[in-house]
Amino acid sequence: MTPEQQAQHDAQMQAFLAKKKYKAALRRQTEEEEANLGMTSLMDIVSILVIYLLKSYASDPVVINPTAGQKIPFSSADASIQDGMPVFVTVRGITFQDKKVVTMTADGEVDPAMVQNHLIGPLFDSFSEEADKAKQLAENRGTEWEGRLILVGDQLLKFSTLVDVLYTAGRAEFKEYTFCVIKKS
Amino acid sequence: MAKRPRKKMAEKVVEANLLPVMNIMFLLIPALLMAMEFASMAAINVSPPKFSSAPSEPQEEKKEQEKPLDLKIFVMEEGFRVEASGQQEGADAGKSADSSRPTIPLAKSGAPVEDFERYDYKALEAKAKEYKALFPNDVTVKISAEANVPMQVLIWTMDAAAGTDCKIGKFLKGTEDIPDNCYFWQPIVEGGVG
Repeated sequence: MTPEQQAQHDAQMQAFLAKKKYKAALRRQTEEEEANLGMTSLMDIVSILVIYLLKSYASDPVVINPTAGQKIPFSSADASIQDGMPVFVTVRGITFQDKKVVTMTADGEVDPAMVQNHLIGPLFDSFSEEADKAKQLAENRGTEWEGRLILVGDQLLKFSTLVDVLYTAGRAEFKEYTFCVIKKS
Repeated sequence: MAKRPRKKMAEKVVEANLLPVMNIMFLLIPALLMAMEFASMAAINVSPPKFSSAPSEPQEEKKEQEKPLDLKIFVMEEGFRVEASGQQEGADAGKSADSSRPTIPLAKSGAPVEDFERYDYKALEAKAKEYKALFPNDVTVKISAEANVPMQVLIWTMDAAAGTDCKIGKFLKGTEDIPDNCYFWQPIVEGGVG
């Protein structure tokens, strides 16, 4: 490369660099545009979801959450559940006030040692304790205790066990019984 | 003096800030999910069990025409035994009850106990309809079962006795009269009989 050519090349290079610098400065001067998230479609989905959930909102005074593995019987009955104390009776055990009171045998029956003339001992103690509390509460409020027991059973629950539970509840001064069922659609 | 031309003001579109609304919506979703009813529940009100071992109420002598229906359904492993006014239907002549034979045999004989549809609920409902026509003011039915009968069978027996199309929810709320297709909708669970 001759010295003239070298000089020409340097001049071109400088001009190119100067142009690049100018362009970079121009880019810096322009404000960055804010990215806008399209909210309308998201709002549509969420609104529909909220309306659907509001429609299926449980309006019953008692929310029944079945225990694991429990299959509540189906029925064509349509009467709504009234306020009361739920007892969950499955072929695995009896749960009352979030406590497993009785564990069933492999046959799905109450251990015969716990039952005396249809009365299930540990269940009677729990029923009586809660009934006393509820009665006291009703007395303080100046109302009468309704004594309603909501029996949330299992499709396979044997009649003999069901009768024992109802009898035990009766002895603990529960006066009204309700079987919780799933409405047949 | 020359009038200065008025500058045209371009109308700016102001977008609503949806973020606070979205925040509330997203908080509402888990709250509603928690209170959501996944399966709609219903209730069957039953009267407490009565035991045959308990002393029975004194029976008053009544005239034949004043006798109540006193409908009883006993769920056996072989079918339904139906009794009215102390007389089992289908019992041998001269006998009030025949424990060996059901009034309504199984619809699916030989099916396992866990098969809830082995009972003839339609025939039971037809029988309840017959009795209702004879005793229109009677609404109670005593239901009992053998020890191994599952709860689902008991519930469907109650449904059949009440009438599968019977909807008494509005009646219980006091907004409607009892529908005509409701037969015996007040079950009494009895234990230790049969």
